[in-house]
Amino acid sequence: MTARVGVEGLARSFAGVPAVRDLSFTVGAGEIHALCGHNGAGKSTVVKMLSGQIPPDQGRISVDGEPAELRSRRAAQRLGIALVDQELSVVPALTVLDNLLLGDIDAPMLNRRRAAVARCRAVLDEIGLERIDPDRPLSSLSIGERQLVEIARALSQKARLVILDEPTATLSDVESDLVFAAIRRVAARGCAVLYVSHRLAEVLDLCDTVTVLRDGRRIATTPAGELTVGTLIEQMLGEAPHRLAATRPPDPDLGHALRIDHLHVPGRLADFTLTAQAGRIYALAGQLGSGASDVLRALAGLHPQATGSVELHDRALPLRNPVGAARAGVAFVSNDRKSEGLFLDKTVAWNLVATRLPSLGRAGVIRAGRERRAARSLAERSGLAEHRLDDPVLTLSGGNQQKVFVGRCLGRDDVHALLLDEPTRGVDIGGRAAIHRLLRSAADAGLVVLFASTELEELLELGDVIVTLRDGRTVGRYDGDADGATLMRDMTHGVNAT
Amino acid sequence: MMVSRSGRAEAPPDTPPATGARRRPDPLRLAAGVLVLILLAAGASTDRFLTLDNARAILASTAFVGITAIGATLVMIAGSAVSLAVSQTATVVAMIFLATQPLGLGTSLLLALLCGVTVTAVQGAVIGYWAANPIVLTIAAGFATGGVATWISDGTTVSAEVPRYDVLNSTPLGLPLAVYVLLAVTALAQWTLRRTTAGRQMYLVGENRAAAHAAGLPVGRVTVVAWAFFGACIGLTGVFLASFNTGANSALGGTLTLDAIAAVLAGGTAIAGGRGSALRTLGGALLISIISDVLLLRGYSTGIQILVKGLLVLAVVLTVHLRSVRGRR
Repeated sequence: MTARVGVEGLARSFAGVPAVRDLSFTVGAGEIHALCGHNGAGKSTVVKMLSGQIPPDQGRISVDGEPAELRSRRAAQRLGIALVDQELSVVPALTVLDNLLLGDIDAPMLNRRRAAVARCRAVLDEIGLERIDPDRPLSSLSIGERQLVEIARALSQKARLVILDEPTATLSDVESDLVFAAIRRVAARGCAVLYVSHRLAEVLDLCDTVTVLRDGRRIATTPAGELTVGTLIEQMLGEAPHRLAATRPPDPDLGHALRIDHLHVPGRLADFTLTAQAGRIYALAGQLGSGASDVLRALAGLHPQATGSVELHDRALPLRNPVGAARAGVAFVSNDRKSEGLFLDKTVAWNLVATRLPSLGRAGVIRAGRERRAARSLAERSGLAEHRLDDPVLTLSGGNQQKVFVGRCLGRDDVHALLLDEPTRGVDIGGRAAIHRLLRSAADAGLVVLFASTELEELLELGDVIVTLRDGRTVGRYDGDADGATLMRDMTHGVNAT
Repeated sequence: MMVSRSGRAEAPPDTPPATGARRRPDPLRLAAGVLVLILLAAGASTDRFLTLDNARAILASTAFVGITAIGATLVMIAGSAVSLAVSQTATVVAMIFLATQPLGLGTSLLLALLCGVTVTAVQGAVIGYWAANPIVLTIAAGFATGGVATWISDGTTVSAEVPRYDVLNSTPLGLPLAVYVLLAVTALAQWTLRRTTAGRQMYLVGENRAAAHAAGLPVGRVTVVAWAFFGACIGLTGVFLASFNTGANSALGGTLTLDAIAAVLAGGTAIAGGRGSALRTLGGALLISIISDVLLLRGYSTGIQILVKGLLVLAVVLTVHLRSVRGRR
C-alpha cells in the first residue's frame, strides 16, 4: 500500500496548551483509516490542520509523497483533500446539482448544463443516490441524503483524501448504511479515507486501520481486525478514570421530585423514563445525536413535538411550552451560550436577574435597590467580581460568561429543577471547577440537577446517577458505581456491547 | 479581571474583546455634539430662529409625529422592527372619533383609543406568538385598515356635526395640548422601559429572541404589551389629527408611518432591537423638527427639507451601526 497522505511530527497548541504533539501516521490509497479518541484528544485539531483550516506549529504533511503546504481550505482542496464536516455545509435552498457544483474549483465559468447534469448523475449514481433527481431542491432531502450529497460533492472533486468528521452522528441506521456503502466505494476507487467517529462498533466494522489519540499523542495504530471495542476503549482511556469525588448516595427519606415518564421526541428520543430526587445530580451521558440533550430541551419546553408525562414536585410539567416550564420551576442552561443563552450586549447585572424580574418588585414595577442587591448576591455566589456587574457580558471570558448563565438560575425559590446542556463547554479548567462547585451547591440547596455531557471526567465527577444514552435510547443507569470504560462503551457502542 | 484562558485542547479560546475600545470617544455622542454645534450656529445666524414663537412652532410640529414615534420606540426595542400600518390606523381612529362625537368627548375618546389599541395589539400578538414577519404583516394590515377607512368614509371626508373636541385644540400656557401629551407619553414610556418588568423584558426579547424563548420569558406577552402601547399612541395621534383638521378622509394619516420611523431612528434606537429609549426618540423627533424649521426659515423648498431628513436618518443609523459593530469586537 503506497502512502497517499503522510503526517510526520505534527504539533499544534492553543494559547500554550498543546492540542496535538508529535503526531505521525500515514493513510494509504484505498485505505479507510479511523481516528479515535476521547473528547479533547486532539482529533478535531488534526482534521483542521489536514483540511487547511489552521496551520500546524511543527511537522510535515505530504500528499502522494510530495510535501504539501496547506495554507487554506482551498489550498487543501486543490491538492485533493476534501472534508465532510460535522456540520452540513450544503445549501438547502439550492438544487442538488447546484450544491455539487458549489465550491468545485474545476467548474467552468460558463457551465454547459447538459454536461454538468450528466456528471452530477454519474456522481450520484456512484454513491447510491440513483433515485435523487439533480434538479430537486436540497431542502426536500432528508438529513442523511444531504450528508450523502456532501460526500458526493467531495467525490466529484476528484479527492485523493476524504476526511469524514462524525458523519453519522445525526443519522438513522438506514442512512448510516448508505454512508458506509458510499465510503467503501470511494476507498475502492483508490482514495484515502480518514474517518473520525465516536461510534466504536461502526469504526471497527468500516475501517482498515485505527489510530488512537490521547492528550494529543498517538497511542497506537492497529489494524482493525486485531481490535475489539474493549481494547479500543482501553487505548482511548489509558488508565480508565474512576470516580474522583464523593457522590451523594440516594436518600430514602426524600421523595422523587422529578418524574419523567415515557418522554418521547420524534426522531430524537424514544421512551425516556427517569425519576430523580431533589438534592442529587443526574448526568445524561451521550454523544451528539444520542438524545441526551433532547431530554433537557423537551423538559424546558423547547421541543414542539415532545410527548410524555413529567411531574415536578407532584405537579404536571407542561411540555412544549417554555413559559409554562419556567413557571413550573424549570431553569434551563442551553449548550449554545451565545445564541440561545445570554443577552451579550447587556450587563452582567441585567443578565443575572433576567429570569427573576417579577420577584424584584411588586405589580410589575422593578425596585432598583432590590435589583442591585439581588445582582450583588448572585455575583458573589457565582464567583463573579462585583466591579464587573455593569460590564457587558460580551467582555467576559467564556468561563465567567458561563458563571453568569448558571448564576442566573440560582437562589430562586421558584426553581425546583436545574437543567444544563454541556455545562462547561468552552470553559477553562479553573472555570470548570467553579461551575462544578456551583452545581453541587445548587443540589445541596434542594434542587434536582440534571445535566447532559459528552465528557467522561465531568460525568464521573459530578453525576450521582449517570444515565447513558445512544441513538435516542437509554442504554444503562449507574447509581454510584460507574467507571469510564463502561460509560464509554455505552455511549459509543450501545445496547449490544459485549 | 480578565481571566487568562488556557482553554481545553480542542476548543481554541475565543479572544476576550479588548476593553480599550471603550475608552475611545463614543461616535454617537461625538456625532450628537457636532450636530448640536452646527444647529446652534445655523440657528443663531438664521433670522427669527431664536424667538419664542419659533420655539413654540417647533414643539407644536413635533407633537403629532412624536407621540406615535414614542410608541414605535417600544416596538422597535422589543425586536419587532417597525409597523407600516401606522397612517392607516391613525386614519381609522380619527374617523371613529369624529363619527362618535355625539356620544360625548369621553366616550368617543375611549372608543377611538380602544380601536387603535385593539387593531395594533392583534398585529403584535401574531408577531409575538407566531413569530410573523412584522414588515409583511403590517403591510397587509395597513391595506386592510386603509380599505376599512375608505369603506366607512365612502371616500368622503368624515366630520362631526356637533364637535366636542375643541378642548383638544386648546393651548394652555401658549403650547398646544398635544405637546403636553407628548411629554406625558414620553415620561410614561421611559418609566415603563426602565422601571417595569415588561419594559426590561422588551430589551431582552429585542436583543435575543431565541435566548428569551429558551429562558421561558413571556415573549408573546411582552410583544403584545409593546404593540398595545404603540396602538394607544397611534390612537392619540389620530384623535389629535382629527381635532386639528376638524375632519378626516382616507388621506389624513399622510406620511405619519415613515415620519415616526424616522424620528425613532434619528434618536439612535437600533432597528434590530434591544437598544434605545423614549428620551432618545423625543430628541430625534425634535432634531428633525428643528432642522426642518431652520431650512424653512432659510427659504429652502419642501423637497430639500425631506432630503435632509433622509440624510440625517442615514447618518444616525450608520453611526449606531458602527458603534455596535465596534462594541462587538
